[in-house]
Amino acid sequence: MSRPPEAAPRRIAILGNPNAGKSTLFNALTGLRQKVANYPGVTVEKKTGSCDLPDGRRAEIIDLPGSYSLQPASPDEMVVRDVLLGLQVDTPPPDLIVFVVDATNLERHLYLALQVIELGRPIILTLNMMDAADAQGLRIDAAVLERQLGVPVIGISAVRGTGLDRLRDLMARDVEPSTRHFREWPSHLQRVIDRLEQRVPRLPSVPDRARRDVAVAMLLDQGEDDALAKHVSAEALADAHLLARRLDEFSPGWRSGDVAGRYEAITALVAEAVNAPAGDHKDARRAAIDRVLTHRIFGPVIFVVLMGAVFQSVFAWAQPLMDLIDWGMRAVGNGIGHAMPEGPLRSLVVDGIIAGVGTTLTFVPQIAILFLFLSVLEDSGYMARAAFIMDRVMSRVGLSGRSFIPLLSSFACAIPGIMATRSIDSRRDRFTTIMIAPFMSCSARLPVYALLIGAFVPNRWVGFVTLPGITLFAMYFLGILAAVVVAWALKRTVLAGGLPLYVMELPPYRMPAWRSVFITVRERSLLFTRNAGTVILAITVVLWFLASYPKGGEAVRALEAERTQVAAAGDTTRLRALDNQIASAALAHSFAGRTGRLIEPAIEPLGFDWRIGIGLITSLAAREVMVSTMATVFNLGSGESDVQPLRKILREAVDTRTGKLAYTPLTGISLMVFYVLACQCMSTLAVVRRETNSWRWPIAMLVMMNAMAWLASFTVYQGGRLLGYGA
Amino acid sequence: MKTRARGHHTARTLDQLAAGERAVIASVDCPPAIARRLMELGLLPGTEVQVIRRAPLGDPLEIALRGVHLSLRTSEARHIDVTPA
Ligand SMILES: Nc1nc2c(ncn2[C@@H]2O[C@H](COP(=O)(O)OP(=O)(O)OP(=O)(O)O)[C@@H](O)[C@H]2O)c(=O)[nH]1
Ligand SMILES: [Mg+2]
Repeated sequence: MSRPPEAAPRRIAILGNPNAGKSTLFNALTGLRQKVANYPGVTVEKKTGSCDLPDGRRAEIIDLPGSYSLQPASPDEMVVRDVLLGLQVDTPPPDLIVFVVDATNLERHLYLALQVIELGRPIILTLNMMDAADAQGLRIDAAVLERQLGVPVIGISAVRGTGLDRLRDLMARDVEPSTRHFREWPSHLQRVIDRLEQRVPRLPSVPDRARRDVAVAMLLDQGEDDALAKHVSAEALADAHLLARRLDEFSPGWRSGDVAGRYEAITALVAEAVNAPAGDHKDARRAAIDRVLTHRIFGPVIFVVLMGAVFQSVFAWAQPLMDLIDWGMRAVGNGIGHAMPEGPLRSLVVDGIIAGVGTTLTFVPQIAILFLFLSVLEDSGYMARAAFIMDRVMSRVGLSGRSFIPLLSSFACAIPGIMATRSIDSRRDRFTTIMIAPFMSCSARLPVYALLIGAFVPNRWVGFVTLPGITLFAMYFLGILAAVVVAWALKRTVLAGGLPLYVMELPPYRMPAWRSVFITVRERSLLFTRNAGTVILAITVVLWFLASYPKGGEAVRALEAERTQVAAAGDTTRLRALDNQIASAALAHSFAGRTGRLIEPAIEPLGFDWRIGIGLITSLAAREVMVSTMATVFNLGSGESDVQPLRKILREAVDTRTGKLAYTPLTGISLMVFYVLACQCMSTLAVVRRETNSWRWPIAMLVMMNAMAWLASFTVYQGGRLLGYGA
Repeated sequence: MKTRARGHHTARTLDQLAAGERAVIASVDCPPAIARRLMELGLLPGTEVQVIRRAPLGDPLEIALRGVHLSLRTSEARHIDVTPA
């Protein structure tokens, strides 16, 4: 298709309070798949996508984090303010703002809307969730809002897709900025602001009308405003602080004087434009659900049962699918194995690629089920209640309910979890949360747990649950326990102090938007599969090479000589045993085997041999690589030509030096404990470096976590042996 | 620490309200930055609030005002004076 020669695309920013449905609208407009959930603070970074406008032009759409005010209280709100005021050099202010408000909640959502309208930028006021407003019988007169606010107003439902065509039409048009102001500063304050305005440097990115807001920001600054410190001279800021202190003396309450002014305007506006039915049956259903879910006794019980049920079903529901994939993988492996001539290529395909990648793929169903549960819980609004219930517990270790959701996201992956800490206002709480996030068992650990539990934990019922289910729950719990201990220690030492403000909005319950639940599940499973096809495939091939070469070695030659004699004698059982010994000796002689044996002394006290050592090393790429590594190592290390189920192989693996079983259930537990606590994920460290802006924290994390992992595994293994569980 | 209110004339603070009780905010006496944020969230003098419930472990509170439900800790609620609705 040919397009008219394009001007620069229109840059349109989506803005609004947390949980207004901005990302849902962003996804609907751009066809992208931003994470959506029913709690405040989901989006913490700006994301861009593009959308075709009806006039054939293209628009660049920017999804911004939700914000309550232009006076930022947390790093993600800071992003919004900086973009709007033109203080972010790499992102000039948008050409148009699509301001999203929750129509069922106009009063609160209009506060930021008025602040932004006052900036005098082109803006469309978008009343989202009109479906919910209609269901509640709310009638909103858009014409009144348009007249009073001086901006175009349009009702939509981002979830249903209604009103989006009209919105796109509006987005293509040139919108006149509003000239309204909704607050009056008292004259003495106005004079101070005018004076400071002269000190704001003339930046091309800061439009004239926004200079006043920069001046107000200078006045309200508490010395933590990085963007201001970058653009405004140090003397000007020092003067502003001095002025602020003088104002504190002579007119206490000046800091929030404008807030009341805006809310008065809003109250009048809402009274004129909104017609609400009498009675608050809007709250009846919510109250009924909350009475149970946040009940003094049932609340915590339901929380624990729900979490337990999630882990139980991750196992139970995934099992048939896993068996199917496992069976398919082995069928393919054996088919190819028989069709190909014996030699290094067959070994690469069967022992390397199919065993390694195939085994990893069997865990896709578990990943999918985990994310299915998490996103349903998030989108229904339950997670916000969980944070409410857990705040008291979190405050015991010096954190707040705000840290709860980032920590919960870390069960999926620590990286989004660490990024989600941007909605935490207190820096100390934020850093503490970052430091403990990797203790939450992420989905990459799940395959490792699943493999080891499958191999070493008998599938027996204990009361209402199975032993594997309990074991899995225990591993997750151990991570949480470690996090609690570390948070407690950090908040008492290096990150002590500063009880922050904890206010969190409790959103209404919503039917999960199945489309976004489905998107999350699919994205996560695809990501995992894609990793299996790229990173894991590559590592598997490299590993196959390292575990196959160099060939030969004294031990192998001696065994092969013996094999020739035995073969001549026709002793088949002895022959099979010898084949296994040869394969194992060859593995020990290979590059990988040597490396494994090099680190063996360090991990032997934990019950791990050199073969597990190889897995620990490859896990540094991604934890789930452990699974494919074990599959490759053990398939190469066995004389069998068929691909074996890895669980069985591990259970029956033999220590060639002693001739006894190499691994006991105690080894399995010790290894799982190691995976719970160890810091193995390089991407996590990179994100910690970025988010804390220093190498100190990631290095501290690496040392602390690995020391804890070693000590804990040592205690488990040696303690277990003393108690006689080693056999 | 404030003592528990005994009668209608004694000023009470938000944390002293029972679940379900309504009142009107009289003043917000937190440090300035916190006070500003609370007001921006709608906790302005003159606003009617209702305490919905306490969390199972006693803290935080769930309050409703201007049609929004917020959770707020006792440590902050203690600094918010209220008068009977
Ligand atoms: N009923 C209804 N629900 C909606 C609509 N739009 C969004 N939602 C729901 O509102 C919740 C919040 O949506 P998000 O898109 O994550 O909100 P956000 O504004 O991006 O939130 P933050 O990223 O936290 O600032 C989700 O549960 C959505 O399913 C709508 O038009 N109608
Ligand atoms: Mg969002």
